[in-house]
Order: sequence, then structure tokens, then C-alpha cells
Amino acid sequence: MDASLDLLLNAVISGLLLGGFYAAVSIGVAISFGMLDIVNIAHPGFILLGSYVAYFANTVLGMDPILAAVIALPAFYALGALVYQIYYIAFERRQDQSLGGLSFFFGLLFITEVGLVLIFGVDYRLVQARYIGPSLNLGWVELPLRLFVPFLVSMVMVVGLQLFLSRSFLGRAIEAVAQDQLALRLMAANPTRIKRVAFGLSFATAAIAGAILIIIQPVEPSIGREYIGRVFAICVLGGLGSFSGMVIAAVTLGVVESLTATFFGPSWAPAVSFGVLLVTLAVRPSGILGR
Amino acid sequence: MASSLTLANVDAGYGAVRVLEDVSLTVGAGETVALLGTNGNGKSTLMKSIMGIVRPSAGRITATIDDATHELVGRSTEEIVDLGIAFVPEGRRLFPKQTVTENLLLGAYRPTARSAIARNLDFCFETFPRLKERARQLAGSMSGGEQQMLALARALMSSPRILLIDEPSVGLAPLLVSRTIDKIKELKEGFNLTVLMAEQNFTQAVRIADRGYVIVHGRIAFEGESAEALNNNELIREFYLGA
Repeated sequence: MDASLDLLLNAVISGLLLGGFYAAVSIGVAISFGMLDIVNIAHPGFILLGSYVAYFANTVLGMDPILAAVIALPAFYALGALVYQIYYIAFERRQDQSLGGLSFFFGLLFITEVGLVLIFGVDYRLVQARYIGPSLNLGWVELPLRLFVPFLVSMVMVVGLQLFLSRSFLGRAIEAVAQDQLALRLMAANPTRIKRVAFGLSFATAAIAGAILIIIQPVEPSIGREYIGRVFAICVLGGLGSFSGMVIAAVTLGVVESLTATFFGPSWAPAVSFGVLLVTLAVRPSGILGR
Repeated sequence: MASSLTLANVDAGYGAVRVLEDVSLTVGAGETVALLGTNGNGKSTLMKSIMGIVRPSAGRITATIDDATHELVGRSTEEIVDLGIAFVPEGRRLFPKQTVTENLLLGAYRPTARSAIARNLDFCFETFPRLKERARQLAGSMSGGEQQMLALARALMSSPRILLIDEPSVGLAPLLVSRTIDKIKELKEGFNLTVLMAEQNFTQAVRIADRGYVIVHGRIAFEGESAEALNNNELIREFYLGA
């Protein structure tokens, strides 16, 4: 087999797996920014919080990082509901969400990062699990399990949330809440409660995304900032409010970055991914699957 | 099981501006009552007061739903809808980025309505075949007439006992106006509803109304005990028929 074809195939595969990880990182923002109009730029910080919960459970209790994230889900949900309640009382209720809300979440990002630095220090941390290290050999391609397991977990989370949003009454109300709050009240739903639940869910995804992140790479408290631009790019590229568009965008970005890194060097990867965003916005401003 | 609505001496407004003054009105069980008046006389404010969107500064609003009486003033909009009172607001207020089906399913959010979802959906699609054809289309991309049908159908998905409709004819072509009014009558009979309808289009509203009130500058200026009485009223001649 030709060496460069082999390289191409492996680059595409690892790009797909990387895309799955991007989807897990972006889904929280797809809910808060895409569906609730809440510019939650602190989400990468919350993801890091998830990473350190997984790290703590793994090193101290010897627990699997993904299992630790699943156990932490209710606590993350509750924390998210609390953050929304504060945001609602301090900003949204007073119609001050655009600038005031932005600084609120910027502040939360700093508090989360500094809190993690104070507790865990600035060194890179990593976790141990059986699937970190070995690869599945499928003939032409190597499937590293430390990427493949997170990919599967991410897809389960995305599909689960998509089913919840499209099939349940609460989910459909979440999809509609940003469009017309009075209309939603006329459907007997309380918009503030709906947004609180949705933001709680958005925050809870950070537990899973954080565990995935620390499985894929070692983390330190400010590493989340690397993802802020990329996450918002993925949500806008996919079309705000559309999960399937977000997944397509995440996978596209993953593959494009992986190909660029393989053939032109890793430093070009961000330039190419934001280039893709610019072109998409010029051709189709509502994103790939935006309504 | 009877459902009715009563307003007694209601005052309401926005800030210092008083819009409604001492308004008393009843909608008896199974009646269709028309609330007539030109723009800016307080029809919408009256509807919004009933729905808890505007809070009255004085007076009482009570609704009897299936023989149980509830005080409405002080309740939130979602509580009032949950009692069994549906409201089709002016401008329809659909969810433009959701499909027709998604809009209808949102209409059934009220817990009591969820068990009746299949039956209500069938009824809506039967009454408005156009909605069935367009089930997967985004609500915001439909014509005004189709949107009005969807707004009516969505309100019915909540299995209401009392239906409030604000200006169903606004923005519709004359032929569509009369068709919409006919549909309201059909829905009222199909669901055994009590209906209060605010309307500027006097001739159309009176076709299906049992009784009517004329509201002028926020006060009830005339109460017509029958469609005929409304037709023969001086005030109405002056305001609507230009005679």
C-alpha cells in the first residue's frame, strides 16, 4: 500500500475521532448559546472543572474517569441551574444580559481557572485507564482507543440529548424558548424554569467533556482557553440551535485540522479551521443546518 | 360540564396610563361572545388582563372551568393556561423556526392535554387539511392565513374549555377572514368551547356571535343581547357602518 494514502487514511480517521471530541466540548455551548441566547464563554472553564473531577476520582479513588463523570452529572446539573438562577436574577430579568452577562461569564471563567490552580497547581495532570495506550489494528488503520472511547461516549451523549430535545415536551420547549417567551407561557410553560433546566443540562455536559479531555491529553487549568474560539466556531458553522449541524461542523473541523497537521504542519491547523468558518459564513450565513 | 368567564369592575392599564375602566363582562357557558371596537379602545388589554399578561389594578376576574370557579387576578399566565383557558394573541406569536408539527406539539405542553394529543392532532389536521400538508414546514415560512390556522390549532392542542381570540382577521384577505370566522365556529362546536373573540370586523364577528359588547375608550359602551340587537345599534352604525 502506498505510504501517502496510508497517511491520508490515518489522518482522516484521527480527524473523525477528534471531531467526536470537539462535539462533546461544543454541545454545551450549542445549548446555551445556540438555543438559550446565553453567551456562556465560561464553558471551557467548566469543562476543565470536569477534567479535574475525573482526575481527582481517578488518582485518589482509582475510579474510571468516564464513570466519575457520569456520577458527577447530577452535581454539575445542579451547579448549572444555580449559575443560571444567579444570571437570571442579576442580568436577564433586568434586560442587561448582553454586556453584563458577558462579563459575568468571563468572571466565572477566571474564578474557575484560579480555583483550579489554587487546588491542583499549574502542572499538567493526566489519568490512568485501561483504554489509554492500546490501539485497535484494523489492517490499514490504527484506531487509538484513547481517542475511540471518547468518540463513542461523545456520540452517545449527543444522540441522547438530541432524542431528549426532539421527543420530550420539555425538550421541545427548550428548542422554542429563545424564539418567543410569551408564546411559551401561553403553552402553559414557565420560560425561566425551561431555561434553568436547559442550562443545567448544558453545564452537565461539561462533566463528560472534561473527562474526555483529560483522557485525550494531559490538562492544566487554563488549557480550556484554547478551545473557546474553536467551540464558538463549531456552533456557528453548524447553525445555531442544530445539534446535527454542530456534529457535522465538529467532524469537518476535526478532519480538516488533522489533514492540515499531517501534510502542512500543526501550526497551520487553526488558520485552516477558521478559514473554513469564514468561507461558510460568506456562502451560508445561517450555518450548515441552521434554520 | 360548564365553563364560563366573568369580569367585574376591572380597571387596568400600563404604568400611569389607564386603559380599561370599570369593565364588567360575562361569557356564559357554551357562548360565543364578540368584543367589538376599533383600534386603541382596549380590546387587547382586556384579553391580556384575563390572561395575566397585564395585571388589573382593580376588579375581579373569575373563570368557571368544568364547574370549578377560580380567581384569575394574581395568577401567572402559565397557571391560567393550565386551568384550561387558551389564548390566540394578536400577531399569532407562533414559533417561527419550529415546524408546524413542533408548534402543535408545544401547544399540548399542558399536562392535562398530553393524554389527548393523538385525538386533538387528528381533529386539527381534519379541520385544517393545509396544516397536515405542511406538517414539516417551518411556521415562519407560511402565509398569513396558514399562520392564523396554525395559531388556532395550536391553542386547541391544549384541550381548553375557554378560548380567547384576539383579532383573528387582522392582516388576512377578505375571503380568508370569512373562512377563518367559519373555522372558529366549527372548532367551537367540535370542542364544545366557550369563546370570547375580540374583533374589528363587525359584520364577520356578528355572523357567529351569540352576543356582543362594544368597547369605546376602555369602557363598555353597549351590550348587545343578540346579534340582531348589535346590528340595530346606533353606536355600531356610527362606528362601523358609517351611517
